Amino acid sequence: MKPVFTFALMTLRNLLRRRAIWGISIVILIALFGIGQIPSYGVSNEGRFIINFGLFGLEIGALLLAIGLASNIYPRDREKKTVMPIIAVPLSRGQYLLGRFLGAAIVETAAMLTGCIGLMIILVMNGHNVPVDMLPATGLLLVEGCFLLAVVFFFSFWTSPPLNAPLTVLLFIVSQFSVSGFVRLFPQAPGLMRTLRLFLPHMDVFHIKDPIAHGMDIPGLYFLLATLYGLAYMAFMLSLALAVFRNRDLK
Amino acid sequence: MKWIAVTLITAVLLSMACKTDYDIEEVATPQHLGTDYHEDCDECEPEDADQTHEEHEHETDIADPGSVYEETDELDVLETSGSDRHVHEEGERNHGTGWFFNQPWAASFIWGKMFRDIIILLLLSAAILLVSGYRRKRQ
Repeated sequence: MKPVFTFALMTLRNLLRRRAIWGISIVILIALFGIGQIPSYGVSNEGRFIINFGLFGLEIGALLLAIGLASNIYPRDREKKTVMPIIAVPLSRGQYLLGRFLGAAIVETAAMLTGCIGLMIILVMNGHNVPVDMLPATGLLLVEGCFLLAVVFFFSFWTSPPLNAPLTVLLFIVSQFSVSGFVRLFPQAPGLMRTLRLFLPHMDVFHIKDPIAHGMDIPGLYFLLATLYGLAYMAFMLSLALAVFRNRDLK
Repeated sequence: MKWIAVTLITAVLLSMACKTDYDIEEVATPQHLGTDYHEDCDECEPEDADQTHEEHEHETDIADPGSVYEETDELDVLETSGSDRHVHEEGERNHGTGWFFNQPWAASFIWGKMFRDIIILLLLSAAILLVSGYRRKRQ
């Protein structure tokens, strides 16, 4: 595992040099600041709106970050021919993918934590209490972000970066559908649609902003289960990505 | 041999999983969906409402037959906006909140299914890794 971590740190340094990542992170923070500035117009429980919009903003931020971080990594390595020497000697293809993924996941984690702390500061500045489950809720959004990161890696091995972003956004939107909603997209083949839907996670598993905003307690077991659920889908997507990458001819 | 075994296991897992994807509404009990509660409410609430309505119409009939509709409308507004209209026991669900409680965090009866999905996906991932590794070695 040591070569993977070393390569992940290398990826982290590479990513931090990119302006796009800083741009997306600043946009997330500006959006959160904007949410905090919305006047309450005398409506009670304004904190609920801030939490709801804030966590939704973090989710969209996770999607944008995943695309911004990962869509260009492999195509750039291939274009600059750096992937060949890396894979030829020190790393296997699996280690290359894991190293790149871990590096990007570390950046995504740091950005989400910054966003969560920013949201907490905005709540405190507006005189609201910070919910106890705010950090676990952000953790679940991070798991969702890591799944999206795996999706972007999967697409990056067989599509161009301009196509990667719309495909990932499409998958993100479709994953929000319920099974019956997904079947309604093509009602002529319900069996096929249910099969296809299975390969996409139920994204509502990661959304707990409503109960948090209404001050409801969430069992600790649920957090554990939802995290494992997201990690299982992430592992599935990464294994698909690796299967595609193993079949790629890099010459 | 390995190839065949992995393909078979994958096919079995896929066929199991394909049949069992679900929406919470599809697998929820009537108690969770709150349909039994609605029935109770329908039994008791309209009776009250009708009674008041009839009494009220009777009163207005005597007073002034021309103002029946106007008065009835006013009373309807009072009925629907009054705090007595919906009285719930503490912890009981209100109408129209199904979407809120049909989220996975509130539907503990699907947690077992979520765990099953985790196991299936991990096994599928392992199968994909094995097959792609085997194919790579053969190349």
